[in-house]
Amino acid sequence: MFDLLLWVWIILGGILIGAGVHFIPVGGAPAAMSQATGVGTGTTMLAAASGLTGLIGAGSAYYLHPGDFAYTIVMGGVSAALMLAILAFIANVMYVFGAGVPLASAKVKYDPITKWRQDLYVSRGTEGHGSPMVSFISGIIGAFLAGVGGALVYFALAETYKAIPGFSATFGSYSAPYYVSLAAAFAIGIFFLNCVMASYNIGGTIEGFHDPKFKRLPKSVVASLVVSAVGGLFALLITVMLPGGI
Amino acid sequence: MAEGEKSPRQLMAIGVLGGLICIYIAHYLNSGTNSAWFSFIAALGAILAVYYGANAVRRVASYGLGTGVPSIAMLSFGAGQIAVLLGLAVALNYNIVVAGPIIALILAAIIGLVNGVMARRVIKMNIAIMEMSMMEIAMAASLVILGLSTAIAGSFTFNAIMSYVVASGFIIAVFIVGAMAMFHPFNACLGPDERQLRTLNLALSTGFIAMLVAGIASGAINGVQAAVPMLIVAIVGWLIYYMRFWADTKVDAAAVLSTGLIPTEEEVA
Repeated sequence: MFDLLLWVWIILGGILIGAGVHFIPVGGAPAAMSQATGVGTGTTMLAAASGLTGLIGAGSAYYLHPGDFAYTIVMGGVSAALMLAILAFIANVMYVFGAGVPLASAKVKYDPITKWRQDLYVSRGTEGHGSPMVSFISGIIGAFLAGVGGALVYFALAETYKAIPGFSATFGSYSAPYYVSLAAAFAIGIFFLNCVMASYNIGGTIEGFHDPKFKRLPKSVVASLVVSAVGGLFALLITVMLPGGI
Repeated sequence: MAEGEKSPRQLMAIGVLGGLICIYIAHYLNSGTNSAWFSFIAALGAILAVYYGANAVRRVASYGLGTGVPSIAMLSFGAGQIAVLLGLAVALNYNIVVAGPIIALILAAIIGLVNGVMARRVIKMNIAIMEMSMMEIAMAASLVILGLSTAIAGSFTFNAIMSYVVASGFIIAVFIVGAMAMFHPFNACLGPDERQLRTLNLALSTGFIAMLVAGIASGAINGVQAAVPMLIVAIVGWLIYYMRFWADTKVDAAAVLSTGLIPTEEEVA
């Protein structure tokens, strides 16, 4: 029961995850010392935080309304975007009231959204501080895309595994059916493959869609396509390998 | 390579062969005696794989990944997780349970190689050993996941892993704690004075912490007979290797000075 359409969905989801990472203001270690724009941690942690929240959102949506495509996808995207908004906001509060730095980007002279002057507020020797409006909005867009991508992967896998005989059983009385947890395990694997590939592409830090590094996106799309094609193929082969279920 | 260091080849033998052998011993002793007393041996196999993987992370991350050391371990655990579950399913389908771990290892190597080729050729990361390292770390990751899962479930058949580790949700704990055991050593020790022995002693100590988590999880599945040996070995092992790491740190440090207590307000004034 190898469904080609579901494979395409997984690949599309992988590409969306990779593209989403390019929008997220990842500051890395310099931002943790408020010396660069973005949230002060690496892509892996940011993606894990917002991506796993997205997967939990998508998973619970799918569990409550099995087979509802739109609900699962939107819940995944919104959960991830919400988590990133909270992360960037709390980090901004700490930068402003804790470290005492204004929110500013060093890559552009004027914020493309608010049109506010940026360069005057960048401390000498630093690359900006915190997440200004453009990075914040960009991050929410990126997390939404990545969440939708993760939810697409999850949905495709859950739909596939639901058909395996014996997979609607649950472990004990508290757990979700087997297909829900197996799909989550694989979706997390494919999520990390794509988000780390994308973070290698941006070299660890990016400010958002106004950053010149954003132009590297096509390379990430190719890498995500191949990586999620292999990962998705392996994930879908499980159904071929378990014709009789467990 | 400095004197007294282990070569990548030696570590590969320790990690892959040692890891596989420990996982097989645990599975067959458990099924032979129809108990779960020997589950801790599989967790020891996972620690050997952590030992090997931490050195592979150390080698590739010393080139500077740009994204932090954790990224490569998380990526490889993603690959390893897919490989382990598919590998065990393949073994179930062809009724060759004994080959499951080896199939998982081969599949992990394939995904790791694809990732490495993409990172080096498409994304154009300038790291000469990228393909090989990604492959090695994915293989180590698959063995860590397999070892800790076998320790929790008591056997490595697909059915056992699926119901006791994946459906129960312990797979997420295995994923995160295994990845942290592998990336933390180099992440903590990196720098110009980094030394293989110190990093790998820390890898063993974090490996025993992963074993501790697996021990707690196995108590929920197989009860006292799985949990008690695993917890005892994990705590003793962690103490031994953490003390060794601590001693190494003191040896490598230029000087160890006491800063005293934080001065009180009167003393400062």
